Amino acid sequence: MQDFETLLKGSAEAHGHLCPGQVVGVRMAMLGCSLIGLNEPSSHDQIKKLIVYVEMDRCAADAVAHVSGVKLGRRSLKFMDYGIMAATFVNLETDSAIRVLSTEDARDLAPLYAPEIAGKYQQQLIAYKLMPDSVLFKVQKVLVAISEFDLPGPTRRKVSCQRCGQMVRDSREVIIDNHVLCKPCAKGAYYTNAREITWPNMNWSPVSDFRAKKQQQNIPIALEEPSTSNRLGQQGTKSHRETLL
Amino acid sequence: MIKTIPLEDAIGSKLAHDVTEIRPGEFKGPAFRKGHTVCNEDVCHLQRLGKNHLYLIDLEDDEIHENEAAAIQAKALAGDGIIWEDNPKEGKINLYAEKDGMFVVNTTALAAFNMVEEVMCATLHTNTLVKKGGLVAATRAIPLIMKRAPIERAAAVARQNGTVFSVHLLRHAKVGLVITGNEIYQNLIEDRFAPVLTEKVSALGSKVCALKFVPDDAEIISQAIRSHLGNGCDLILLTGGMSVDPDDVTRQGIRKAGAHELHYGASALPGAMFLVAYLGDVPLLGVPGCGLYHQITVLDLVLPRILAGEKIGKKELAFLGHGGLCLDCPTCRFPACPFGKTA
Repeated sequence: MQDFETLLKGSAEAHGHLCPGQVVGVRMAMLGCSLIGLNEPSSHDQIKKLIVYVEMDRCAADAVAHVSGVKLGRRSLKFMDYGIMAATFVNLETDSAIRVLSTEDARDLAPLYAPEIAGKYQQQLIAYKLMPDSVLFKVQKVLVAISEFDLPGPTRRKVSCQRCGQMVRDSREVIIDNHVLCKPCAKGAYYTNAREITWPNMNWSPVSDFRAKKQQQNIPIALEEPSTSNRLGQQGTKSHRETLL
Repeated sequence: MIKTIPLEDAIGSKLAHDVTEIRPGEFKGPAFRKGHTVCNEDVCHLQRLGKNHLYLIDLEDDEIHENEAAAIQAKALAGDGIIWEDNPKEGKINLYAEKDGMFVVNTTALAAFNMVEEVMCATLHTNTLVKKGGLVAATRAIPLIMKRAPIERAAAVARQNGTVFSVHLLRHAKVGLVITGNEIYQNLIEDRFAPVLTEKVSALGSKVCALKFVPDDAEIISQAIRSHLGNGCDLILLTGGMSVDPDDVTRQGIRKAGAHELHYGASALPGAMFLVAYLGDVPLLGVPGCGLYHQITVLDLVLPRILAGEKIGKKELAFLGHGGLCLDCPTCRFPACPFGKTA
């Protein structure tokens, strides 16, 4: 693992600013990863062994993700909306799981650790660097039963909602009265009054932009192999592109 | 795990904790000690103490009794010069000074320790002069039984910088006095500073080894400082010339002597115009005129700390502010008063 200051600098850049939450998050991840034996969590041989549950959507969550290398889209980062400054670090290889909680004591003790620093924000920033882990955190050994549907890897199941027809992945469907439903249909959603709309320029695509530009320059499109290839990505074949164009 | 049983069913059981008896103005202490086997004769006594039920304790693997917790706490808290008997009474351990000296507390670590809910520790103020055998602190666990982990975390918090408190010996300094002021140098008035400072220095176990009277002349003051250093003085006290008048040149004299670090002004009254400087490792303390009038001044707060080996700088002088106001009581009770109790 990189040293603390290097990790903090990278985390602050990724997050957008340096703040006390970044200090807590970086240290939380350093401690959690080391306690489950993954000292190089972003390395090739460890990255697939780690899952992290963050219990807050605050600055510290970004720092935890930055240090541990976990990502939502890779299914290695799980967000549990508890509003608790804590994260649990799971080693999939050993099944060891450590929950690290940021103590409220640390906030009260910041003025004592950095009495010469004026301003609550700066004082916490410095104090959280000075405090030992024993003051900044409580640590619990926990058991985490991870469903196979929560693990990284390919989609394990897909079913359609019998009410709205939406495809539901990874066993997130709900069965009510023997009907397979998506969660919004079954339990309501964070949104309401959903209705489909149309919008201007509905037929835009990255490829349509490219085609318009070349037509303006009067250049035969099919001959622009490298540029077309870049826009379509590595997986596109020439015949497929020609079909598109 | 704790189980509660009626007193009448407790005959033959061992007490899970000390049972305290308080007789106002007469006695406070354990009437029965932990582990005592309750017998018929004890029942009336326990009832008089308001005990109609007793605890039976069956500790789980991850649990700890208050006595064991107190022992762990005392070991983690205590540093050099602290002694205690590993025999908790009523779940509490008292800690004592092993020697005369300066009792120093890491107040931040103490606060962090006390933030752990299951434990407590109370101490004398930091930077208190203590005598061998004097009580300086006491610690106990709050519950009768608790999980072991919080106690071990509290112990780790206590050890974050080594220990939480200790007693530092005062070094025996060879003190050089520089009494400035034309009025004294020219025998217009009698000096009263030298006897006052000599008494304070002696009371702390150090000795005034050299004394010079000098006029308000920066060059001559610097020569006096150099002379004391040449004679082996390892602490220099200077009086007078610390104020704002044009004749007040003691600071210039200290600079001329080569002081590499100089802090003028302390957040304490009396003693706002106090000065601390360093020439090499030798501290130079500039004592303003208040030292003549007031029995206790900032010098009484700083000098023992210097002798205990503390480096006094801008921060330390500034932090004197909270608690740095002497009430100038008709009968001075220092150090048993708020003056200098900064934390």
